[in-house]
Amino acid sequence: MAVAQSSDTGKGSGFKGVMNRLTWLDRLLVLGVGLLVAGSFTLVKAGGAGQRVVVERDGKVVFNGVLTEARRVTVNGPLGPTVIAIKDGSVCVLSSPCPAKVCIRTGQINRQGELLACVPNHLVIRVEGTPDVENDYDLISR
Amino acid sequence: MNRPILVIVLMVLLIAGAWWRLSGQEEGQVRRSQIIMGTLVEITAFGPDTGKLDEVVSRAFSEMSRIEDLMSPHIETSDVTLLSKAVDQQKVSEETAEVIRLGLEIAQRSEGAFDLSMGRLIDIWDILNENPQVPEEARIRQAMDGLGPGGLSLEGRMVSKSNVDLQVDLGSIAKGYAVDRAWQLLKDGGVQNASVNAGGDLRLLGDRKGRPWRIGLVHPRKAGEVLAVLPSADEAVVTSGDYERYFEVDGQRYHHLIDPRTGYPANLCQAVTVVAPTADLADGLATAVFILGPEKGLKLMEEWDGVEGLIVDPDGKVLQTSGLNGRLEWP
Repeated sequence: MAVAQSSDTGKGSGFKGVMNRLTWLDRLLVLGVGLLVAGSFTLVKAGGAGQRVVVERDGKVVFNGVLTEARRVTVNGPLGPTVIAIKDGSVCVLSSPCPAKVCIRTGQINRQGELLACVPNHLVIRVEGTPDVENDYDLISR
Repeated sequence: MNRPILVIVLMVLLIAGAWWRLSGQEEGQVRRSQIIMGTLVEITAFGPDTGKLDEVVSRAFSEMSRIEDLMSPHIETSDVTLLSKAVDQQKVSEETAEVIRLGLEIAQRSEGAFDLSMGRLIDIWDILNENPQVPEEARIRQAMDGLGPGGLSLEGRMVSKSNVDLQVDLGSIAKGYAVDRAWQLLKDGGVQNASVNAGGDLRLLGDRKGRPWRIGLVHPRKAGEVLAVLPSADEAVVTSGDYERYFEVDGQRYHHLIDPRTGYPANLCQAVTVVAPTADLADGLATAVFILGPEKGLKLMEEWDGVEGLIVDPDGKVLQTSGLNGRLEWP
């Protein structure tokens, strides 16, 4: 196979020197590998974009599901069943046997790291996984 | 250099660099949560050694539980329970004394808008009950008996009540103190970047790996939305509001932030966020400012060294101290 050789003098130093030593095929190879790496980076990122809803009771995971799949989940705590709704990429508490319903009033969460808790019923709901876009904030003061 | 070797070296460097950057995102982070003091506490810590981080975070949680044992009104042997039952002077732990000392200062500087001895008022309102009701006026008056300046006094570690019926409640400040203790243990354990979040009461250690922490201040009337974002590092941020713990009767909202001077929930603010050097101060001031209202509350924050804050008034109008100008990002 005929390989077009650039003006390979074998002389020069630094970046220019390195570039001078490369053939067009070398450069194509480097470009190809670069594109592959960039592609794999994006693919892995996209894979991580499957954010998940994790529900824990007393520190133990009792539910783990994707945030993109609409569903209702009933989780039992010491006070009774808490109904959690996952819809449109957000999760919230629909009904709870706790007295003050703070968990319902907290509303929806949908950002990586966000938490929703029903303290009386010992339940912690969190969103995990790499988000599609970076969060506007890291923590919530409420 | 031989060409094929040069190309291979370049390729390896490129791949290694890209994957180092990718995998480095989650490296050296420990995030754990636990229910303490009736709220969800989450600690996030960054560092090169996750084993060590985990150990330090465990110690921080244990410390918060220890503070709960000292200051919870629901634990029979706590300083607070013993103090509420006391008919004479009562000796308390150094930690409880420290909290009471700060609480008395906030009480004095807020002219009684903050009170550590209003346990009876909190009990009769019982906002977290399944069927909360507005107490009868006579019961409210009775529960207010003895409240105000001088109701509680502290000398060293000895606490005195002016009225034996006074019930102590440190709920408006103890959570912040526990956050501070956890923060201190993280710092003593060599952690340089961390956050302690007790149900939205935050204290930050350092920044978030080279950039400020971004704190979303919850919108008091739009659930799930933030009012503003505050870039922050090495300080405490605490918010008090009327939007989570409340009940309604005839369209009137009754929430958990009771004014010790009237016996009823304060109605001059929707939310108050305080930014302060420590979480106990931010916690206590968030309650005091909420009860004082925008005018006096803003003045108190401006006058308190190292304190800044933001107030949402009953109409949703936002007021802030001068030090927050230019710091907040609005959606």
